[in-house]
Amino acid sequence: MRNTRPSVIKNSSRTGYLMSLPYVLYFCLFIGFPIVFSFILIFHKWNVVTPMQWIGLRNFSRLFQDIQFFISIRNTLVFLVIHIPLQIIVALMLALLLNRKIKLKGFFRALYFLPVVVSGVVITILWQQLYAYETGLLNLLMTKLGITKIPWLINTNWAMPSIAIMATWKNVGLYIVLFLVGLQGIPRYLYEAAEIDGARSLQQFFHITLPALNSTIVLVVILSTIGGFSLFIEPFVMTGGGPMNSTLSAMLYIYNQAFYFGHMGYAATLGFFFAFIILMVVLIQKKFVERKD
Amino acid sequence: MTYNKAIITFLLLSCALNTSCEKKRAAQPVAEQGAVRLTYWCASNQDEINFARELVDSWNADNSQIQVFLQPIPASQSSEEALLAAIAGKTTPDICSNMWPGAMDDFTSSGGLVRFDQFPDFIAYVQKRMPAALLESFRSPDGHYYQIPWKTNPIMVMYNKKMYREAGVTKPIRTYSEYLTASAKITRDVDGDGRIDQWMGYRDIRPIWWQRLFDYYTFYIAASGGETLFDGTDIAFENTASVKVFQFFSEIYRNGYYPLTTFQGDAFLAGQVATQFTGPWNITHVENFKAPGFEYGISPIPVPDDHTGLVYTYGDHKNISIFSTTKYPEAVWQFAKYLISAQADLRLLEICSQIPLRKNLTTDPLYHNYFQQNPMMMQFAEQAPYTRGVDGSSVLKEIFDAISQEYEACAVYNKRTPEEAINKATKRAQVIIAWSKR
Repeated sequence: MRNTRPSVIKNSSRTGYLMSLPYVLYFCLFIGFPIVFSFILIFHKWNVVTPMQWIGLRNFSRLFQDIQFFISIRNTLVFLVIHIPLQIIVALMLALLLNRKIKLKGFFRALYFLPVVVSGVVITILWQQLYAYETGLLNLLMTKLGITKIPWLINTNWAMPSIAIMATWKNVGLYIVLFLVGLQGIPRYLYEAAEIDGARSLQQFFHITLPALNSTIVLVVILSTIGGFSLFIEPFVMTGGGPMNSTLSAMLYIYNQAFYFGHMGYAATLGFFFAFIILMVVLIQKKFVERKD
Repeated sequence: MTYNKAIITFLLLSCALNTSCEKKRAAQPVAEQGAVRLTYWCASNQDEINFARELVDSWNADNSQIQVFLQPIPASQSSEEALLAAIAGKTTPDICSNMWPGAMDDFTSSGGLVRFDQFPDFIAYVQKRMPAALLESFRSPDGHYYQIPWKTNPIMVMYNKKMYREAGVTKPIRTYSEYLTASAKITRDVDGDGRIDQWMGYRDIRPIWWQRLFDYYTFYIAASGGETLFDGTDIAFENTASVKVFQFFSEIYRNGYYPLTTFQGDAFLAGQVATQFTGPWNITHVENFKAPGFEYGISPIPVPDDHTGLVYTYGDHKNISIFSTTKYPEAVWQFAKYLISAQADLRLLEICSQIPLRKNLTTDPLYHNYFQQNPMMMQFAEQAPYTRGVDGSSVLKEIFDAISQEYEACAVYNKRTPEEAINKATKRAQVIIAWSKR
């Protein structure tokens, strides 16, 4: 009897280790190893095919003189500043509409979710055609309505907002679902009580709906921020980072350094530096959210 | 349990036996091994796959001792990326016929390629096919040859004859001012809806380095009389030719002769643009998809008005290399000789509409019928000796990126003068070179 118990524990530990082995292997191979290897790369010059060359901190000295990289970070932040509020407002408005008793509710919900599951490249090419200055459908319609054409992707002031609009359109379905979940969790009696007290729709929205959706909004902000920092496909396909570097995102710049120019060490350095910036932003967000709570 | 053990033992034994056989086979000389099996990577476009398939089938039928397995280059953004990944993973083929000279530095410095000059008959065989001076231009900085210059695609102007006629352009355009004058007439609103719907040309304006090969670089080679970006190891493009090219494109975009748009489909075939800068490979495409009555012509790249002498252009060269992972370099060399034989070159013309780097191509009786039946290809063939490739530099892409950024700022958006833009691109190129040397 005394021997049975440790043996059961031993067996169950072994089973536990075996059960977690696939994930441990996955983690070591696809997350742990790349992180460690990238860290080693920071101090090297390497183009994949020639042997790695130790260069100490020279990648860092290059980074701090690299204006293009800082432009790319600024562009990414500009994208976030436009994209996040736009995403929240549009998703919330549509969620409020879809939460009402309307016909074809399921159809509309599916319709708004469709772009989320369509390939990013396909959507980007589609919008590239819509945005085309001389031949695009949007400018064609605007000309017919007597409105001046907008240089969507060929003007430094318009290019990043255009990409943000497109990204919002693509992702809005996901956030609508999140907001719908939040809206359906608000007790009905709160609205009934407010109605009895004479509160109008707008007052109900600002004093019941919005506070009740606080945690959903926080989630949307965090998800949009993470998505925004990884902005890549849209500028890669639509603008190549132009015009005049105005849509060059940090991810695109890191990709170019690594895979166009073969500067794996430098790209790893940029990657770590960028990860540090993301960490700072997330910490600031966390602090802000905690204070709010 | 016993059953499982038996299966595992069987599998382990078969692996061990198989490995041991492989090792024995590799150690044996070619003659004793039975058939040698080589892997050949060709470009992944359908014409070249068809061409390579025909050649490989014919080779395999005649050479039972050296059997070739054909595979198009694996899908990737570019052939160079696929090849670099293969070198890194040691999964390179024995031979590849889609080597871009601009990437040779990376391939050779990694020790990924076999020296052709180790074969005693290499120089004599290749010099029979092409001029010695041209072969010399493909010698690597270490003094060896790692590539057989195979084919070139001179970039020229393909123009819509009807649109030229309607604009009163009666002969092929030769100079910048002729091009700009024609542009002013051709770029217009054809259907009268108040929107421009016909342009002189179109270029992808995204700042992507390789796009500049087909506008700035092609025009720079033409304007400079055949210069490239480097003079030895020094940057050499800060000159009048570069400034004139930037001025020319700046004029085009300022006046709206090229749209800042993207097109769905082929704008040239759709009659939306009158000219495009392209190579001979495009003839097959145009012939296959042109509308009835669509007429087009070929002319050299326009040059500055004061240009004298021959008009050079960018030749998009693709060469043949043997990878150092091969176990049978001699056998691969035999196959490489077959790929550049006179008959194979004829099939290259016929199937792919690409120009083999062969001297006397236009006068050789073997090709006479082909050129008689394909007069436009004759124009590309005549231009072929006056082409320049790219410099072999490990930072070439970055330098093109620097040029691309300034081209965009100056030519497309008119934010900088040509002089400023060229100066800035040169300075950045110098920083890139200095950094790469450290």
